[in-house]
Amino acid sequence: MDLRLSDRELAFRDRLRAWLADVLPTLPPPPDRDDWPARRRYDTAWQRLLFEAGYAGVDWPAEHGGLGASPTEQLIFLEETARARAPYVGANFVGLLHAGPTLIVEGTDEQRARHLPRILRGEEVWCQGFSEPDAGSDLASLRTGAVRDGDHYVVNGRKVWTSHAEVADYCELLVRTDPGAPRHQGITWLILPMDTPGVQVRPLRTVVGSSEFSELVLDDVRVPVANRVGAENDGWRVAMVTFSFERGTAFIGDVIESRNILAELAAVARATPGRDGGTLWDDAALRRDAGRLAAEVTGLWALIQKNVSEASAGMIPVQGASVFKLRFTENRQRIADLAAHVLGRAALAMGDPAGGRVVEDRVNTLSFTIAAGTSQIQKNILAERALGLPKEPRWT
Amino acid sequence: MDLTMSADQRDLRAGLRDYLQGTWTPDRLRAAAETPALDRGDWSGLAGLGVFGLTVPEAAGGMGLGLVDAAIVFEELGRALVPGPLVATFLAAGPVPGADDGGAVVTSLDLRDPVLVAEHLDSATHVVAVGDDGLHLWPAEALVAEPAPAPLDPLTPVSRVKTPPVAGERIGSAADAAGWRLRGAVLTSALQVGVAQGALDLAVRYAGERTQFGRVIGSFQAVKHLLADSLVRVDLARAAVWAAALTVDDPEAGDPGEAASAAKVLADDAASQGGRCCVQVHGGMGFTWEVLAHLYLKRAWLQETCFGQADEHARHLAEAL
Ligand SMILES: Cc1cc2nc3c(=O)[nH]c(=O)nc-3n(C[C@H](O)[C@H](O)[C@H](O)COP(=O)(O)OP(=O)(O)OC[C@H]3O[C@@H](n4cnc5c(N)ncnc54)[C@H](O)[C@@H]3O)c2cc1C
Repeated sequence: MDLRLSDRELAFRDRLRAWLADVLPTLPPPPDRDDWPARRRYDTAWQRLLFEAGYAGVDWPAEHGGLGASPTEQLIFLEETARARAPYVGANFVGLLHAGPTLIVEGTDEQRARHLPRILRGEEVWCQGFSEPDAGSDLASLRTGAVRDGDHYVVNGRKVWTSHAEVADYCELLVRTDPGAPRHQGITWLILPMDTPGVQVRPLRTVVGSSEFSELVLDDVRVPVANRVGAENDGWRVAMVTFSFERGTAFIGDVIESRNILAELAAVARATPGRDGGTLWDDAALRRDAGRLAAEVTGLWALIQKNVSEASAGMIPVQGASVFKLRFTENRQRIADLAAHVLGRAALAMGDPAGGRVVEDRVNTLSFTIAAGTSQIQKNILAERALGLPKEPRWT
Repeated sequence: MDLTMSADQRDLRAGLRDYLQGTWTPDRLRAAAETPALDRGDWSGLAGLGVFGLTVPEAAGGMGLGLVDAAIVFEELGRALVPGPLVATFLAAGPVPGADDGGAVVTSLDLRDPVLVAEHLDSATHVVAVGDDGLHLWPAEALVAEPAPAPLDPLTPVSRVKTPPVAGERIGSAADAAGWRLRGAVLTSALQVGVAQGALDLAVRYAGERTQFGRVIGSFQAVKHLLADSLVRVDLARAAVWAAALTVDDPEAGDPGEAASAAKVLADDAASQGGRCCVQVHGGMGFTWEVLAHLYLKRAWLQETCFGQADEHARHLAEAL
């Protein structure tokens, strides 16, 4: 075991650092949260810059236009971009982290040729239409139906919580093609062009106050059979392939952000006068709480290194991914709480120059323990798969 | 960068685990809880496996391994609830003759502690006192201390030191004392990870056997989630302990003091919460002397007080923010 980077990895890091130092100062200021067209432009322009510099699709295999980087190089990429406060993957998330990798494994040559280069160049934005009003954690109960009509499927139903739907070109859509079959065996994975007639996007307002996700209403939407990924009724398996990409590296940059927020919290506390003279930071209990959260952040980073090492050794860190997601999300929520307590009444408005970012983070991170498998579902997974306890009741 | 165990490390762990399973059976632990004096045969057995001389250079008769190898070994010792002043004897291998080969049983005191309590004093041959100015060595008989009649951890006799000893033989500088505390924190954390893992294993086994309401209790989600929480704490702490051990050996990889403090905070939490979870999952059985659950929890509570309590380490981490 060792924590050192190889010469090759150090060279990769240094090249990336130099490039980031050159390019980041040239970026325009990030757009307003609610200006979706501008957000799309900003996120895809960043993707284009990555592409031109040879950094698009770090984790994609080279034969599909990616960088084919090793797991450690992927970690370096995510760490360095987060440290340099480069733009986040944003609207490119589903295309780069879900749909693209799924097409690489499961798509036809035609589907790959059509979508992969455009995703890498930032020309195509995707969204994920999996969840439904009645199918969340229990995703396999989804009901949006697709009926074959010649060389098309006719799709009717509803999807919810579809992030980036307002600006997406395509949607990875799970539909039920055989309502009579056992739940997991009647599902199909489709590529839905968002401009198809009958697709209606209804933005939903989130607790942050902006619209991060939407409801999709699908009314007699005709999707070519050629847009099917995998076989008909084999979509559950394909979706599991999609999820296997989701549970890897999504939050690495956020751990760095956790550390940043803690450091800012300490800086604010050191500069804020206490009621009994001195500063807030003189409070040993505050320092203890901050220190405990810092210990967790350090541990989470070690866990990332362990997961990445396992991936490098060809293992799939399933247990590590659930352990990480559970602990990271809970830790970040507690950091946001502590930061808000330090700010006190300065943490009562989102736009506030002093506390605005903390307030927004505190509200936004409520979603961390819900999205991408709730904490309760993660614990079920660990109890069953890692500890071998009996399975939860579920339909067959 | 590699945080997975090598084949050699897996072999090291497997060999030790086999030995400990044969030696520290549940019945043996119950017996030791009644008569906790250390068996010098066991002590030599551990020394024979290289436990104390792991990081002593090969030229000096040790195994020349790294602190992370020691962390793997100490996790196993913690998991098996092996009694004895393991960390102090390990750290004394080198400066104290006989520590590496089982000839000496070395316990230690940290002079920073407001209350001085020595572990296993009756079985010890030497005491190392860790002061800010350096390391000092006494023969164990030189310490005037009152043995406690009912130690919290039945396998760890403790004695309250009456008069703090004056001068002993100086065996290390202030820097050596700092290194002692640093490595001691990492190894105690490794023991805690082992305690946490052992408690979890025991609780998971019981949850898979005990039936109520016509189902095994491990099928109840409330129980599953208790156990999953324990697993999360153990895995996080183990990663932190490995990273800390590597950082102590290779300070270019990070800040050794911070890495060790983070490990101790997380490992104490994993062990004490894991011990509680184990008692809880056993229900009324968990409150009996017979079931081993209490031994894990009590060892965890004991080790929380060694090499800096979690709150102290947390405040140290806060200073670095
Ligand atoms: C910000 C955000 C973005 C999202 N983006 C997308 C997207 O782009 N595309 C998409 O398809 N989906 C998206 N989702 C949906 C997300 O995957 C679901 O919200 C999630 O899977 C939970 O489903 P649900 O909301 O229906 O909650 P439910 O499944 O109804 O859960 C409600 C509560 O019950 C608990 N619960 C449910 N089942 C169990 C069980 N078996 N054991 C114990 N507890 C249980 C849950 O933990 C939760 O606390 C997004 C969600 C959020 C918050």
